[in-house]
Formats: sequence, C-alpha cells, structure tokens
Amino acid sequence: MSDKHNAHDSEGNSEPISRRKVLAWLTSMGILGSGIVTLFSNLVFIKPRATYGQPSRFAIGTPNEFPPGTRIALGAQKVAVVREGNKMAAISITCTHLGCIVGVAETGFACPCHGSRFDQDGNVTGGPAPKPLPWFELSLAPNGQLEVDKSKQITAGKWFTV
Amino acid sequence: MKMRLSLAIASVAILVVHGFVFYQQFFHKWENYQTSYFDQARTLSKTDAEREAFAARSPKIEQILVTQFGSERVDRCTTCHIASDDPRFKDAPHPYKTHPFSEALGDKQVDGKWERRHKFSDIGCTVCHDGQGRGLTEFYAHGEDEFWTEPMLGYVTQENWRPEFKDKLKGKEYMEANCAQCHTDKDFKQTPMVNKGRDLFIQKNCYGCHRIEGISNGTLGPDLTDVGKKWNLNYIYESIYDPRANSVTSFMPKFNLTDDEIKALAIFLKSRRGFNYAETTLDHYRATLNKSQAPAPPPSTTTTTTKPTPTTTPAATEGAKLGEQLIAERACVACHKLGDKDGGIAPDLSFEGLIKDEKWIKAHFKDPRALVPDSIMPTFAFTDGDFNAMTTYLAGLNKAPALGSPQETYQNLCMRCHGEKGDGHGQIAIYLDPYPRDFTNAGFMNSKTEDRFVNSIKNGVGGTSMPAWGKVLNDDQIKGVLAYIGQNFTKDARTEIKPRDVPEQNPVATSSESIARGEAIYLQRCTGCHGRKADGKGANSLDILPRPRNLLNWQFINNATDKRLFESILYGVQGTAMPPWIDYGLTKEDVGDLVNYVRSLNQSKKDFMAANLVAMCH
Repeated sequence: MSDKHNAHDSEGNSEPISRRKVLAWLTSMGILGSGIVTLFSNLVFIKPRATYGQPSRFAIGTPNEFPPGTRIALGAQKVAVVREGNKMAAISITCTHLGCIVGVAETGFACPCHGSRFDQDGNVTGGPAPKPLPWFELSLAPNGQLEVDKSKQITAGKWFTV
Repeated sequence: MKMRLSLAIASVAILVVHGFVFYQQFFHKWENYQTSYFDQARTLSKTDAEREAFAARSPKIEQILVTQFGSERVDRCTTCHIASDDPRFKDAPHPYKTHPFSEALGDKQVDGKWERRHKFSDIGCTVCHDGQGRGLTEFYAHGEDEFWTEPMLGYVTQENWRPEFKDKLKGKEYMEANCAQCHTDKDFKQTPMVNKGRDLFIQKNCYGCHRIEGISNGTLGPDLTDVGKKWNLNYIYESIYDPRANSVTSFMPKFNLTDDEIKALAIFLKSRRGFNYAETTLDHYRATLNKSQAPAPPPSTTTTTTKPTPTTTPAATEGAKLGEQLIAERACVACHKLGDKDGGIAPDLSFEGLIKDEKWIKAHFKDPRALVPDSIMPTFAFTDGDFNAMTTYLAGLNKAPALGSPQETYQNLCMRCHGEKGDGHGQIAIYLDPYPRDFTNAGFMNSKTEDRFVNSIKNGVGGTSMPAWGKVLNDDQIKGVLAYIGQNFTKDARTEIKPRDVPEQNPVATSSESIARGEAIYLQRCTGCHGRKADGKGANSLDILPRPRNLLNWQFINNATDKRLFESILYGVQGTAMPPWIDYGLTKEDVGDLVNYVRSLNQSKKDFMAANLVAMCH
C-alpha cells in the first residue's frame, strides 16, 4: 500500500517526506483504530449479555389454563396473571416501594412488608408505594402459549384479548 | 526509516487483530439464526399484531431457567433452536426445526393442535438431550464427544467412535437412558431397554463385581454408580463388548451376550448418573437416611425369578438339577471352568465334588474369603435355597477324570494354574493370591522333601487355591506327576536334604509376654517384606518373587505345623527371599516367640471360623 502512495506522491514532492507522512498516517490510524475498538468493546462488555436470572421473556401456558376470573401469582417469574372474560394481563407482583413480593387477592394486591395496597389493576390505594404496579406485555406465541415479556412495560389497562 | 515502517506495520496488524476479536465477540451465529427466524416467522404470521411482535424482537440470548425441577439449571439451547416450539417450522432445516411431537412422549392433540407433555419451559432441554445448556456455540453446547462428559444422545453418533459400532449405537432406544433420569420407577413401560438392562445386570451377575448405589455392592470391578456421567456410549458399549479394549489389565470376562443384550446394558449403564434430575438434593439425602435405617433388600430378581428350594433336604436329583440350571443362568462359567466351558479367571469346578465337600462349598459360597482369605470371588446375594441347590450340584460332580500318563494328568489338572512350562504363570495365575508355585525354581523344589509335595497335592494347601487331589489321584499318580514335574520343569537333580534341628512343637508356651517379645522381633526383622500389618505387603514385597507370605492368611497359618514355621524361619526358604534367620542371630526361643506372635494374629479368626463354619452349614 505504501508503495502505491510513494509512486503517486513521487511525481510532485520529494520522496522521503511523503513516505514518512504515509507511514505516520498508517501508524496513527492503526493505533487509533485499535483504541476505538478496544474502548467500544470494553463499553459493551460492561453490560452482561445474559444473567442467570429468570429470562425476561417466558411462556406461561395456553390461555385455556387460565379460565376467566383467574388471578394467580407466578412466584418464580414474579408476575400475576389476571383474566377477566377474554381479556388478560400480566401484572408485576414486585412492590414498587422496596421490592417485596406482594400478595394477590380478589380485591387487589397487598404488600406484607410495609402495608402498601394496590387495587385490582395495580394502582396504589394506600401505604408507602410511590408508583402503581407495572403491566407487562402479553402475546400469543405460534405454539399457542402465552408469553410475557418483562422487558416491555405497557400502560395499565391495556388488556390483551384472547 | 526501518523503525517507522515496522511501527506502521505493527500498528496495522494490531488493528486487524482487534477487529478480528471484536468480530468474534460481537457477531454471533445465533444472532443470524434469530434474525432469520424473525423474518421467516413474520412472513408466516396471520395477524398484524403477531407480525408486529416479531418485527419488534431483536436477537438476544434466550434461556430457560429451570427452578422447579431438580437442581437449578440454565438451558440456552433455544438461542439457536429458537423455533423448537414453533409448530410452523416442522419441516425446516436445523437449527430451526420444530421439536417433533410424539405420542410416545405423552404429547396430545387437542383440537388438531399438538400439546406437549414435557414443556420446555418447565424441564429445559439438557435433561433429555444432555450437552452443556449454557453453551452458545455448537462446540460448547453439543461438544466434541471425546472430551465430553455428557455427550448428546439419540441419533448423534460421533466421528471418532469405533466404526463397527456406529450402526449399533444409533436409535431412539438410546434416549431411554435419559428418560430414566426422571422416570426412575423400576418397570416404567416407556423405557423397556433400561428395564431389560437392569434385569440383565442382575441375571448376568454383573452385580457380583460392580457396585451401583441402591442396586449392588460388588467391590471387584469399578463402581458404576455414575458411569453414565463419566463415559460416552461408545466407551460403555465397547467395555462390555470387549472388556480389554479400554483397559488392558481388566480381568472382566467377555460375556456371551447378544448385540441386543449389550445394547440394553449400555443403555441401562448410560442411565446411571449418580443422581437423578428428578431428585432434589434433599430427597436424595432423605433416601440415604431411609436406606441406612432399613437396609435395602438384596437384588430382588433373584428372589422373584427363581424358586428357592426348601431348606429341608430336597430330593437330591432335583436339587442338583436346579443347581445346574442356576449355575448356567448365573454365568459362573464367566470366570470358572466347568466341563468344556472356561471363563479363564477362576479355578476349575469340573471335579468339585472330589476336591471339596458340601460343607466347604456351602461355606465358601456364603463368604469366599473366610476360606481363601485373598480370593477375589464376589459374595453373591443368592437365597439359601439357591446356594443349597448349587452346592448339591457341585458336590455331585464327583466323577474322576480318566487320566493316563503323568503328562496328561499335569495338563488336565495342574496346567491351568501352574502353567504350560511349570513356571507358575498359568492361564488363571494372575487372579490367584498366593500365586501358584513356580516349579522351575530349583532352589525351592530341591530343598523340600518329596513328602511335603505329596502332602500338598494330596491334601491341598490351606488358604490358597491349591485343592486336595487325594480323591482324584492315587499315590502312584501323585508320584508320577511329581516325577514329571521334576524332569520337565525343575530339571536340576535332587540333592540330599540335610536333616535340620527343628522342634516338632513350639517349645515356647503362648503367653502375652512371649507374644510381646515376638512382636518386637517381628517389627525389627520382618516388616520390610511381610509388612507392618503382616499382610505380606511390606516395602520390599514388590521386588520379591515369590511374594512374601501373607501372615494374616489364617487358613494357611492355622494349617501350617509349628515344625514347618520353625524350619522356614530358622533355616530360610531356599529359592525365595526368606533368609535363614539362624545366621542373623535368632535363637529357637526367639523363633518360638515369633511363631506365637504370628499365630496370635490369626487366633481370633480361627475361633470365629470354628464357631461359624458349623453355624453356616446348619
């Protein structure tokens, strides 16, 4: 590559300086490039690609397994599955106050730690909780299983129709 | 100038290396698989919502965290096999292919749609398929068998497996080994090969030598409790097919098994992983607790498949017949010789009725090491009835062989242990302890009287595998064999044996002082070869042939006369490493103390046997 440059430059300028310039340019590009790549990889590495926790997207079963009127908590996934008629929702059961697991009842949710209370849709009705319980996106996978994606919060009251 | 050039080249090279590493670390095959899957799934989608959902998804590591089923595991197989649960991809190529549905697995069709019995989200993938659940490349996830602890099963046979086994190691049956990880019930209908293998493990007497926790307690062969975890199918199959293929020193016999039987055994053994996924550690712990409280019954098939004969003397012929059948069924000839069948490991049983009596055979069955202390024969857990029948049969084998010349006699009766050349390296010699006598050792052979040899042949040697041939051979035949041995093996002419001053009886009376003095002398003079424990395994024993006597072989010691012990200690044993201790300053009194000490080591066993030999037989 440098030979080419030399041949090209030799028409006008004196050879040694041009050659030196090209080499300097190559060297700096190489070092700078490696620096950028290294920096970028290090930045990317800071965030783990996967952790050993529950996957954010998981299957919970077919809609038939949740008859209308269901309100049950899935302990391992920390999500409550609610079905009213043919409307379904997945509501977090992690208290927005300090992260305890809230209890699920007909009338809403209640946190055992500091007495926060939530209504059926997860809105705060009492206690120290600062925010309502978030809703997660529900979808139907091609195999007929319902999937919850905890990485995607949706606005409360946006039901999934089955 | 040169410096600048090389600096420029070096920096560009570094950039290239960095770029390559960056590419490797951040561009993955699985990302391509996922993108491709999302594209395909989007075009297959029927509703807009579905299409949108697929469009919104971007490649990321998919994982199944199995928490409620056995120990916690992470399976990331679905990162590449992302369509494994998407029924629309049933004809797609790997890795997109849908996991097949099968009624055998318990999958059901509901309204024309298949529903899985084994949900991937509940049990993960590796529980059935093995492999490394966390691996994200083919190499790490599927493994390259050779160095792999848990190779993939089923249809995946490996390049480096023995070519002639390749067809035999293929097939759905091999998956049963993994079904048995959770379906541990003994006769689970969906795993017929595992059940067959378990039955064969008992029937073929594998359990006599091998231990599998909860099934057997053999000590002779390797523990197979977690053999399925340690070895791949190829190795397991090969080790049954040809035991010496992987371990040249193995003395496991090559059993006469059909291909199907080896397959069943291999599948059964592959299913032994030490623990089961279905058991949590607490269950496992509880199981061991329960076991220690109530010992597990001996292998049940022996009690269920055979009819134990009543202990009150049955009609002799019936007992003998049953015994014959049992001995054939239980692969005794896998080790022993009986008639024209020869396992090549253990002594000849063809004339058992002539060389042993019923009492001895029965007692030996119950505890082989009570009579031959260093025997490798396993203690089998048969019923008393079975033992009785087998004993009756063996004791009935009392037809003396037609023997002509001494040479013929030697070849028929002696050669299997003492060897063709009389050097003690017979076919089965390496399995015997003590080792058979080397007749070419002229120093030994010519230092002992003929009477002693005649006595050994006639009455056998206690605590060793040398049987008493007195009922098979008459005195002339015995002398003939001895002459044959002398001429052909020992060769050196016999020399005059000088009479030695040896007392008939130990002149020193047994007392605790005498034993203590004997022990002191023993520790000073004898431990180098005979060992601190007097088990014949002293530091020098490895360099010595014949090996030093195991002084804890109570059958031998209790059968040896004082005279013989005195002679061996005082005047040494020629042709062996035992020196004449009289030359090293031991007096007769010292030897008397030593004999008392050695006898005291075996006294408790002698008393025990005297009490138990009777009890065992009644």
